[in-house]
Amino acid sequence: MARRGSPARLIVALSVAAVLAVFLLYTSIAGGGTPSLQPSQLQGHTGRVSLVGLVAGQATGDAHAGGLHFMLRDRHAMTSVPVVYKGSVPDLFKTGREVVVDGKLRNGTFVAVPNTLVTKCPSKYAPKK
Amino acid sequence: MPDLGRAALVTAFLLLVYASVAGTFAAWHSRRRLAQSAQNALIAAFGATAVAAAVLLAALARHDLSFTYVAQHTSRELPLGYTLTAFWGGQEGSLLLWLLVLGGYSVAAVLTARRVGREVLAWVVPVLGLVGTFFALLLVFVASPFATQPAPADGAGLNPSLQNPYMAVHPPMLYLGYVGLTVPFAFAMGALLARRTDERWIVATRRWTLAAWAFLGVGQLLGAHWAYVEIGWGGYYAWDPVENAALMPWLAATAYLHSVMIQEKRGMLKVWNVLLVTLAFCLSIFGTFLTRSGIIQSIHSFTQSSIGPWFLGFICFITAASLALIFLRLPLLRAKTRLESLVSREATFLYNNLLLVALALTILWGVVYPLLSEAVTGEASTVSKPYYNFFLHSFGLPLLLLMGIGPLIAWRRASLRALGRTFLWPTAAAVVAGIALLAAGAGSSRVGVIAYTFSVFVLASIVLEFARGTSARKALGGVGWGGAFASLIARNRRRYGGYVVHAAVVLFAIGVAGSSAYQTVREARLHPGDSMTVARNRLVFRGFESSTQPNHRAIRANIDVYRGGEYLGRYRPGKNQYFAEDQVSNEVSIRHDLLTGADLFLIADQVNSDGSVDLKALQKPLVNLIWFAGFIFVGGSLIALWPDAREERRLAERYEGATMRA
Repeated sequence: MARRGSPARLIVALSVAAVLAVFLLYTSIAGGGTPSLQPSQLQGHTGRVSLVGLVAGQATGDAHAGGLHFMLRDRHAMTSVPVVYKGSVPDLFKTGREVVVDGKLRNGTFVAVPNTLVTKCPSKYAPKK
Repeated sequence: MPDLGRAALVTAFLLLVYASVAGTFAAWHSRRRLAQSAQNALIAAFGATAVAAAVLLAALARHDLSFTYVAQHTSRELPLGYTLTAFWGGQEGSLLLWLLVLGGYSVAAVLTARRVGREVLAWVVPVLGLVGTFFALLLVFVASPFATQPAPADGAGLNPSLQNPYMAVHPPMLYLGYVGLTVPFAFAMGALLARRTDERWIVATRRWTLAAWAFLGVGQLLGAHWAYVEIGWGGYYAWDPVENAALMPWLAATAYLHSVMIQEKRGMLKVWNVLLVTLAFCLSIFGTFLTRSGIIQSIHSFTQSSIGPWFLGFICFITAASLALIFLRLPLLRAKTRLESLVSREATFLYNNLLLVALALTILWGVVYPLLSEAVTGEASTVSKPYYNFFLHSFGLPLLLLMGIGPLIAWRRASLRALGRTFLWPTAAAVVAGIALLAAGAGSSRVGVIAYTFSVFVLASIVLEFARGTSARKALGGVGWGGAFASLIARNRRRYGGYVVHAAVVLFAIGVAGSSAYQTVREARLHPGDSMTVARNRLVFRGFESSTQPNHRAIRANIDVYRGGEYLGRYRPGKNQYFAEDQVSNEVSIRHDLLTGADLFLIADQVNSDGSVDLKALQKPLVNLIWFAGFIFVGGSLIALWPDAREERRLAERYEGATMRA
């Protein structure tokens, strides 16, 4: 009898669930997520994406002036893309490291959003796979 | 030595299996002596785990590199302190710590919670045993900390970012929190299995839940502070999956701590409470899984390993088994009373619960979003800061407001007239504060103004509660204001401890809003003699200075800070170049202003060969309130946790009959 007698609870629960559903739909469909891609998957994406790759070759240029230029390649393939980046460069950034950076592909060059470069940590923390 | 460790783990595993199997049989058939024997096995398993932990600790201390674990996580030059904390620097050690802490909690909870009744306790033992069995199984068969190898000349060393004093406290605190949530879960399942669905299991585990929750909270704050002073990007929380991993169970446990009060007082929300405690426990296992499996790509979770599928299986099993059990016991979980009004203490607790759970679940959604989107569309998508901030604002701000409303509203049913009287002063204070803030130019951030207005409202209502209580107690006579205040808290530790924690949360919110919504960031390339200005501070670059230390070369930018002509001192942000690890680390310099709670945060972002520096300066108002709130939080939790002889007597009387019968 008590279950039948608590409409308040039901109403609150349902309304919150409804609000939640709307929020989730709104954010996940109308532009919540950013695709996370490797260099070989970039072709055809013109919007903002999150690029994951290994730093290949020597980085040149100045991240606080004209921009830092470097190549990112796939984890398990040789496909690579040139990247130009401005802003803070993480301590762990160097050749061979896996990094993530947001930006857009423009005329074959990945133009990064400033200050979005992060490194994925090296695996001294755990045994190699 | 490694043999002793392995043997100890196998012993612990077998004892835990026995505790689970024999315990289940004993509870099922009400075999009292067998139940006692299962309980003894649980206690003995803790002893065996402690032996294994001691073996690993000894191996670390002796730099015994024939232990693969020691070789992989330490090196000969590593200072003794960090060598010992490497215990939880890697996967196998972390799992061992989990099992050890679980054993400690199990023994303590089983031995102190006799009031719950013998039947429930008989079921609690196998539940705890089962959780322990899982971790012991991993340690024995999948990820043994006692694997050996021919000793190499030197170990691989500990990641420099883990060589930090916080390493000694932050992970153990989190583990005490994560693992501690097993206790209320086991007792809830025990109560359901024994068909004892009154509130005794809640009363019996109240302190354990509170302690675990407090540890989890403090652990996260320590981690935030670690990130703030060491990582050097000017923030303290980045919505990283591993950070979220600890936040989610904490939010669920917060909801649970509130909703159990409704069950204790009014006998309502029984189903909800067992669901919440299950959610909190599953999220804590999920958190361990996230941290340890590296399934979600994150800057933290770089431990890709073989234990992932095991964890996933265990989480599925726990979730399915507990939901099935709750479903089977639904008829016993009917509430005795009902919600009478949407404007009552119960109702505000319910709103608070829904918001907390909604926040936890939206964070969970964000965390698993890359996996789900990859499974559905074949392409991983990630959600980032805007997503989390959106939900933090939409659910967090109402929560803040509720914290001021809940404690002042009457149980059962509150009249609107009474509400008007009660909230007159807090509302007035909030409105005045809001106008003052807008006048002072805080309108630049709408969220900031709302957060501050709500904060003033909550603080005013907390002060009002303390003032009312104190004056009522003083009116009883015989004591002064101080005495009345002290005895008020001493006699209602739970309630006033709770208010103190609320005050801490408000301070925390003020600090977060101040340091994020109102921070000023300036970047500039400075040559020696150049200056820049950030929020009334003039920073003058005086050139570099470098020195060579045993394991690194340190380069520092000398920055003189002036405010309105007054010299405030020299600050030295810079970088360290570690030789052995071939790694650079940012060394920030922070000027704390204890009067205003603001920090001036200096980062030497880039050291240029022409002698110039790219300096990043952040002025973060009120950020120190966040850390200050941590101390208040601990204080409030301790007040609520402190043993209370009067309460014990009252409970003893209340459950005397029941315990005798059982």
